[in-house]
Order: sequence, then structure tokens, then C-alpha cells
Amino acid sequence: MSQSANNEQSEFSPEESLQLIRQMISKTRHSVAMDSFYFLFWGWLVFLCCVGQYVLKVYWDFPQHYYVWFLMPVGGVISGIYSYRQARKQQVVTYVHSALSYLWVGLAISFIVLAYVSISGKNWQHAFTYYILLYAIGTFVSGRLLQFRPLVIGGLINFALVVISAGASYDNQLLLGALALLTSYIIPGHLLRNASAKKL
Amino acid sequence: MFKELDPILHSQLRLAVVSLLIGLKEAEFTFIREKTNATAGNLSVQLQKLKDAGYIEVIKQFKDNYPQTTCRITPQGIAAFEAYVNDLQSYLQTGK
Repeated sequence: MSQSANNEQSEFSPEESLQLIRQMISKTRHSVAMDSFYFLFWGWLVFLCCVGQYVLKVYWDFPQHYYVWFLMPVGGVISGIYSYRQARKQQVVTYVHSALSYLWVGLAISFIVLAYVSISGKNWQHAFTYYILLYAIGTFVSGRLLQFRPLVIGGLINFALVVISAGASYDNQLLLGALALLTSYIIPGHLLRNASAKKL
Repeated sequence: MFKELDPILHSQLRLAVVSLLIGLKEAEFTFIREKTNATAGNLSVQLQKLKDAGYIEVIKQFKDNYPQTTCRITPQGIAAFEAYVNDLQSYLQTGK
């Protein structure tokens, strides 16, 4: 047996005990980190789809301008493979990590359900307003849980963009969607990646 | 009169393990070993004692054909840890 176990009651004072508890708790404090991959991957992918559809629709008059969104299931598969691989490497699960996972799984389901509602009801006119609202919820709550201010600010900006988007035309909603992703996913995602790199 | 400190928790390695797990949902054996600087053998023995006391749950499974042990604190473990910290506080306050 190692020294730590042999020391059991004899040399282990209440003060040392308290110090040990503090030391161990501080070791888990830095385990709270969120992978910036998801923000960067989805941020750039959806941003390019918004801008792509805008260019195809407004400048090129391409009738099937919405084809760009077929990239979403491809993104879903890539993201799914990545998260499966990450889960296998993961040695520790914090409560914040679980809360973030449940939040984003819930939002991912909402994105799919909203796409179905918009397609079946043929009411794409305000779809982006609701998508931006979902980005706002996701990034605001994640930012609060991670105590990472750029995400919180990005979320708040998106709440404002939802209001603007409600009165905008479909074409302008595409540009507002791209702006929403830039402020809530892409910029905070890059900042989060830099912050994680510094921590390591 | 002092309440006797819980002997299961009043041991350096076992207390270190429970203090780590109190803030986590679950952690792998390798993570706990790394953070506590314990040897694998000693850690296994202490984890077994915590499990026998009902303070932690030990889940053994296979990942990529390698055995993997994951630990999680139980509600009983949380209650015991809280009681231990309260007892420690009363010790320290009386000692002042």
C-alpha cells in the first residue's frame, strides 16, 4: 500500500483534511470546458449556407436556391461522428457538461422539428426568425453555464436580431441569419478556442 | 463532545476521491488516479472500500476492447461527505 493509505488516521489532522478537500475541488474546477469545434463547424457551415442561398436567390435567380440546406444532414453526420469519438476519449463528465449536452441535443431536435414544420406548412417566411431565436437561447445559456462572456453577448445580440428579423423580408432574413451566426457562433467560437488553447 | 469523524472518509486517498467526485457527474479510474497521484493498486482497494460503504458507484465496462472503470458518487456518499465537512467545521471551531 502507498504512503497515503498508511497515513490514515494517525497523521491526518482536520486542518489537513480541509486542505485536501479544497485542493481536490480546485482540480475539478478547470474540467469545465466546451469544445469550440461545434460552434465553429456549425457557425461556418450555416453562415455559408445563408450567404450561399442569398447569392443564388438574389443575384443568380437560381430557382432551387434552397438546395444549399441539403448540407445540413451531412453536417449532422460529421458532427455526430465527431461527438461519438470525443465521448470515447472523455475521462470525466461534469454536471455543466451534461447540462450543455442536454441543451444542445434539445436544440438540435428543435432545429429538425422546425425544418419539418416549415416544409410541411410551407411557411418559410418567418423560419429564420425562429432559428435565430434558438441560436440565441443556445448561446446565451451555454455562455452563462461556461461563464464565457462572448457567448452571452452573442446570445443577447441574437435576441435583438430576432425582433429585427420579424419585420424583415425572407431575403433579408438570410443576411440576418448570417449575422446571427457570426455574432453568436463564429466570433465566440474562435475566442473560446483561443481561451482553451491558453488554458492548456 | 466531539462526534467521531467518519472513518471511511477520514483517510487521505478516500477523502481525495470523494472530494473529486462531489463536483463531477462521473469520472474514469485513470482521471482519478492522475488527480490523486495514487498507485493503481492502492486506488482500487480504496475505491472498493468506498463502494462497500455505499458512498460511490463503480461501473465496469469495455471500451475499445479495454476494461474501463467509471466512478460516480451516490446520494449516500454526498450525505456522508456533507456530514464529514460539518463535523470537521465543529472540530476546527472548537479548536480556535
